[in-house]
Amino acid sequence: MHANKYSLILAALLVLPVAAQQSLESAYRTTGTAVVAAFEAQRQVLQTSSAVILDDRKEIAYGVVISAEGYILTKASELLEAKTLGVTVDQKNYPEAKVLMVDPTWDVALLKVEASGLVPVVYAPTSAVPQGTWVVANGVTSRLTRRLLAGIISAKPREIPASGGAALGVILNAKSKVLEVDDVNEKSGAKEAGLQKGDVILTIEGKKVANVTDIADALKERKAGTQVKLTYRRKGAETTVDVRLAARGELFTEQMNRNDQMSGDFSPHRSGFPRVIQHDILGSRTVEGGPLLDFDGHCIGMNIARANRAENFAIPVEELKELAARLMKQGGK
Amino acid sequence: MLALLPWCAFADDARPYVNDLKAPQNRKDLEAIQNAVASALPKARAATVCIEIKEGSGSGVIVSADGLVLTAAHVAQGVKKKVTVILEDGTRLKGETLGLVADKDAAMIQITEKGTYPFVEIDRAETTKLADWVFALGHSGGFDKDRGSVVRLGRLVRIAGSTFQSDCKLIGGDSGGPLFDLTGKLIGIHSRVGAQLESNMHVPMTEFIANWDGLQKAEFIGEGPYAQKPVKGTGFLGIATEPRPEGGLRVTKVGEKSPAAEAGIKEGDALLKMNGVALEKREQMQDLLKEMSAGDELTLETEHAGKPKTLTLNLGAR
Repeated sequence: MHANKYSLILAALLVLPVAAQQSLESAYRTTGTAVVAAFEAQRQVLQTSSAVILDDRKEIAYGVVISAEGYILTKASELLEAKTLGVTVDQKNYPEAKVLMVDPTWDVALLKVEASGLVPVVYAPTSAVPQGTWVVANGVTSRLTRRLLAGIISAKPREIPASGGAALGVILNAKSKVLEVDDVNEKSGAKEAGLQKGDVILTIEGKKVANVTDIADALKERKAGTQVKLTYRRKGAETTVDVRLAARGELFTEQMNRNDQMSGDFSPHRSGFPRVIQHDILGSRTVEGGPLLDFDGHCIGMNIARANRAENFAIPVEELKELAARLMKQGGK
Repeated sequence: MLALLPWCAFADDARPYVNDLKAPQNRKDLEAIQNAVASALPKARAATVCIEIKEGSGSGVIVSADGLVLTAAHVAQGVKKKVTVILEDGTRLKGETLGLVADKDAAMIQITEKGTYPFVEIDRAETTKLADWVFALGHSGGFDKDRGSVVRLGRLVRIAGSTFQSDCKLIGGDSGGPLFDLTGKLIGIHSRVGAQLESNMHVPMTEFIANWDGLQKAEFIGEGPYAQKPVKGTGFLGIATEPRPEGGLRVTKVGEKSPAAEAGIKEGDALLKMNGVALEKREQMQDLLKEMSAGDELTLETEHAGKPKTLTLNLGAR
């Protein structure tokens, strides 16, 4: 995250005993039912063109319906532990959803359900709308009805660099004189590439690596989500594989700072995005993956990370369209 | 010939009608809120600053062209402290904390570099009512030039004594930042949050206005919990000295990791002046330190290997 060098000044939680106070009924608060009712037209769009992603009956994420035939985009890292992946669109449940493709850079998965006649989102012409512009997104839903939360575009579009830099996801044996793998992180590209305990890392992108500094140098300029060619030795045989790099801070649990502690359930995967737009709609972490809509009900982005209690990131529509087209093509449609 | 403008001609100061609806009903009402925020934002943003003090970072807002800044007492932490004020474009300016109200979380800072700064107007007329639409700005989590300060929209959900509560979601680093009404007038300063997303507390302008003179005179007003009054004699330097025949004092010992060691003072260095006072006896130094507190700034004129050097450091806590 940004500004890690600061120990942040944080306000104390303090409840003041006060005799005279006026309080606004919850229905009239920004997320209240009376306020949200003014966005009924946009809610209708979420009803038909957002998807609820379920693990058995538990909501784990939301999704963006991108074709009438049941193609849906969602937040990939929220699916990792799902056993029975299903989807609800509008009032209909599709108990079998297949993961066709995953894009690790954007943390987006392409799902497919057996469906026809779904209503895909309509993309907005641009994500470049002024700060202060209303946007809406999914709130936690009921079985039959999608709910909505509203907020505004709240900061400049920008890249969110990988927290802690890009990493292979291996822990090396400190006692060994060679770069011997001691442990492979379960969520890492090293694991996906088949690296195991005992393997010895020899080269990265064809360049010999002899110590941790060499590895750090080799990865310094690279971004999470990209791949490197890595050669390792196992039982005398050398193998070269492509290893996906991931944000170090997301592979290895970082010490939570005070802002994390006050943020509730933030998205574990919340950095390493090439570009995001930011808004102030803060639902639960499980509503990430759904569409971000403008006043016209058009999709200006896809919610991708609840970064903390004040900041939510979305993939801008320009990149989202490109990503959707690429995943559909690779996914065999 | 000159004609006086009627006082009521300031149409942009008029209370937006959406504030008096229980809830926005339609697109027109929602657009009224959106357009008000969008038009107030450039000026509000230009006046919103990040404040860096030692290792911490908070927010503040400029309220006069000569660089008077309002912030929270728990950001300022004390009076007459050196701070860095960062403008939206990344310009870093020197500043000094003026007064604070320790029991209300209000404080003032002066940008000490001469200039004409963008500023916002304070709502002095207390026009704010429960349920009014408001927006918050602040450097959430610290200064980030690529992101800028973060704007959040909400309503005033509770008015209780000397506290405004809104549903603009705040986080660390926002402390001291501004809360605005839809006309872009400053109505509060971010103070603290509760566990719920709607528990975001702000200090109303009335608390600043009531203490304005004391704040400008750099007074420490009230007692805790947002700032602790410095206690004299608690400052720690971490050296032992002896008089030096040719004048000044000779450093005979430097405490490990002490403020003196961190400022680069070495055994054998000569101390010639402390805060401008020429040192002849050890008692002089002790008397000066007795009047100072942990965190206070100390200027030393020293001599290292025959070369004169001027050091500035902050005293540690005893």
